[in-house]
Amino acid sequence: MEAPPVTMMPVTGGTINMMEYLLQGSVLDHSLESLIHRLRGLCDNMEPETFLDHEMVFLLKGQQASPFVLRARRSMDRAGAPWHLRYLGQPEMGDKNRHALVRNCVDIATSENLTDFLMEMGFRMDHEFVAKGHLFRKGIMKIMVYKIFRILVPGNTDSTEALSLSYLVELSVVAPAGQDVVSDDMRNFAEQLKPLVHLEKIDPKRLM
Amino acid sequence: WQREEKQLEASLDALLSQVADLKNSLGSFIYKLENEYDRLTWPSVLDSFALLSGQLNTLNKVLKHEKTPLFRNQVIIPLVLSPDRDEDLMRQTEGRVPVFSHEVVPDHLRTKPDPEVEEQEKQLTTDAARIGADAAQKQIQSLNKMCSNLLEKISKEERESESGGLRPNKQTFNPADTNALVAAVAFGKGLSNWRPSGSSGPGQPGAGTILAGASGLQQVQMAGAPSQQQPMLSGVQMAQAGQPGKMPSGIKTNIKSASMHPYQR
Repeated sequence: MEAPPVTMMPVTGGTINMMEYLLQGSVLDHSLESLIHRLRGLCDNMEPETFLDHEMVFLLKGQQASPFVLRARRSMDRAGAPWHLRYLGQPEMGDKNRHALVRNCVDIATSENLTDFLMEMGFRMDHEFVAKGHLFRKGIMKIMVYKIFRILVPGNTDSTEALSLSYLVELSVVAPAGQDVVSDDMRNFAEQLKPLVHLEKIDPKRLM
Repeated sequence: WQREEKQLEASLDALLSQVADLKNSLGSFIYKLENEYDRLTWPSVLDSFALLSGQLNTLNKVLKHEKTPLFRNQVIIPLVLSPDRDEDLMRQTEGRVPVFSHEVVPDHLRTKPDPEVEEQEKQLTTDAARIGADAAQKQIQSLNKMCSNLLEKISKEERESESGGLRPNKQTFNPADTNALVAAVAFGKGLSNWRPSGSSGPGQPGAGTILAGASGLQQVQMAGAPSQQQPMLSGVQMAQAGQPGKMPSGIKTNIKSASMHPYQR
């Protein structure tokens, strides 16, 4: 009896070759109000949206140099919402002509037994955190302003502690590969948030 | 007489060069506005304005210079009107005036304002003449008062916004926080304080010290060495693939560790 072939590279080729363009920055707690105010003015006219999510990051260590990482996210304030499984590829800085960080991404909505499934597959949880904040949209751009909380007792999202005195600000666009023009729009939008927040392409490798 | 003519010519030349300068800077300013409006900065607009205003001033100076003869005493008479296209004229006016005909001459050689404008001006003059000197004085005073009030208000506003402008100078963000937060979402830096310190995040291959019972992956790795090309296979699947040997121990550890994962507690 032969094992069914396992698709090793779920992200290359096919119809799901999407890229996430990303700019990041932060805002201190006391300036959050000003930023929210400005974003409400700049973004699409919609009801202000807030979220409270619990994210768990799972690793699968193979013999390759870097482990395979998947992120599972669930909403803590919206009961019954599907879980969110996300794969993010290695971020590419690109050159000066591209104004945002780019990484491969795959987003899938899943049922709530996602963690069990991942464990069965051999993944282990590397870290987890709680994200609480605001969501804005402008066209295809998504702006998230959120606070990251450390989870003090593993798995218990009731006892948390803020990681810093700032909110993380992320401006992202998910688009098919090669649509580098979207980064121009993102740059323009980021310009409008200055000097309150400086959104930049930050190479996470630099921070390891 | 000859001297006068020479003087006229010289001042005409000076005037022409001034007007040409003005035209050039106007042209480049318009070009800037039309083509670079998206990256045009306010200081550069101000620069253009300053240039234009300076050139207008010079032009005025040339006109008022004592050696400049009064141009208004000169009479220009159109000698020939023609409905035909005039290439010379076309060239000299940079393509703006193709013919020198009865239609365009009144516009180009006009020395007085439009009749309607003239009418309005006359109306204003008679209105002004009708008001008595006292009443005029009073109006001037009240206007001055209003202007100074307005000026005061504006400058006060400016001062306040400047002091308010100092507030944004107070930091609204902290680059160190940005880095910390980005590192946290990217690879969990600073998040897992319950993990033994020194444990690795992704991308630091091989340095991983793993919490006891957190995962049986390392065992699986060792046991399942042949599965190099298929690191995503779980121990169970590898067993199905028919690889005997140390496998079973790997599976056992895997299952046990999975059920003991801290998150599930």
